[in-house]
Amino acid sequence: MKKSILLSIAAALFISAASFGQSSSKLVSTKTQIKFFSSTPAEDIEAYNTASVSTIDKSSGEVVFSVPMQGFEFDKRLMQRHFNNDKFLDTKAFPEAKLKAKITNIDEVDFSKDGSYKATVKGNLTIKGETNAITESGTVTVKGNVVRVESKFNVTLADYGIVFKKGKPASNIAEAVEVTVQAEYQ
Amino acid sequence: MPQRDVQSVKTDYSVSSSQIVQEYLNDKDGADQKYLASDGDSKILEVTGTVKSITEDFNGRKVVLLKGEDDPAGVSASFTPDTESGLDGVGVGDKITLKGVIRSGASYDDDLGFYLNVILEKTAVIGR
Repeated sequence: MKKSILLSIAAALFISAASFGQSSSKLVSTKTQIKFFSSTPAEDIEAYNTASVSTIDKSSGEVVFSVPMQGFEFDKRLMQRHFNNDKFLDTKAFPEAKLKAKITNIDEVDFSKDGSYKATVKGNLTIKGETNAITESGTVTVKGNVVRVESKFNVTLADYGIVFKKGKPASNIAEAVEVTVQAEYQ
Repeated sequence: MPQRDVQSVKTDYSVSSSQIVQEYLNDKDGADQKYLASDGDSKILEVTGTVKSITEDFNGRKVVLLKGEDDPAGVSASFTPDTESGLDGVGVGDKITLKGVIRSGASYDDDLGFYLNVILEKTAVIGR
């Protein structure tokens, strides 16, 4: 009897330690915004996605974003249709984009101290089934229990098999689009 | 061309949150084929389920998670400035029906280390 109580206390301690360990090193964010911005002499186009999910591992520096591609919202519906169709991002065949990377200087980010830290992010970006290695810079801001991440970088569409040879898309969509990622973790 | 008015479009499928999650976990490619449209004007769903949480997205829009007790994932539905008032008085544990457009399905994400929810957007409460 005594032994079984001790065992169950030990098990409970072990389980809570395990779940505590997990939640303390991995931060989760569902408060995200990804902005797509394309600028050409013909027009500027922008779209926003607020449905992505992200994690950051505070000890390993691993950062992951899963982006539901149909969540990009444009002002013009026709633009949104073009973005989704099979000549552009083909979101029916490739519904999610993924960033799997590492903050290489995670040791320089002190999550216990308020401040703004420069971060180097290195890893793989997968869009439309094509994966490319990327190295970008960003900012990690710590304020109390809230961690914010921001990064702005260019994505060359041709690297992901998106090429417009002629017509309106070729003149109105930039070859490299600017992507701004923001996320708030708690 | 104005934005798609999701709430005035006819509903394509009525399901429970558990049903659509299970359908996606059984066959994600098949479910994507069924629910997603190639121009992004994807299927309009009515989803019934139990409110697990009410949170806010990056821009302060309300997000409701419908999730069955034993389900590994749920349906995460974001509201608009026009539809948010329909959530007045709705709380965790309530059984409600939502209408919105599907953006992506449920799956286990190995890199994140947890299940992704089905995503609905431009959602409104249509039954409670």
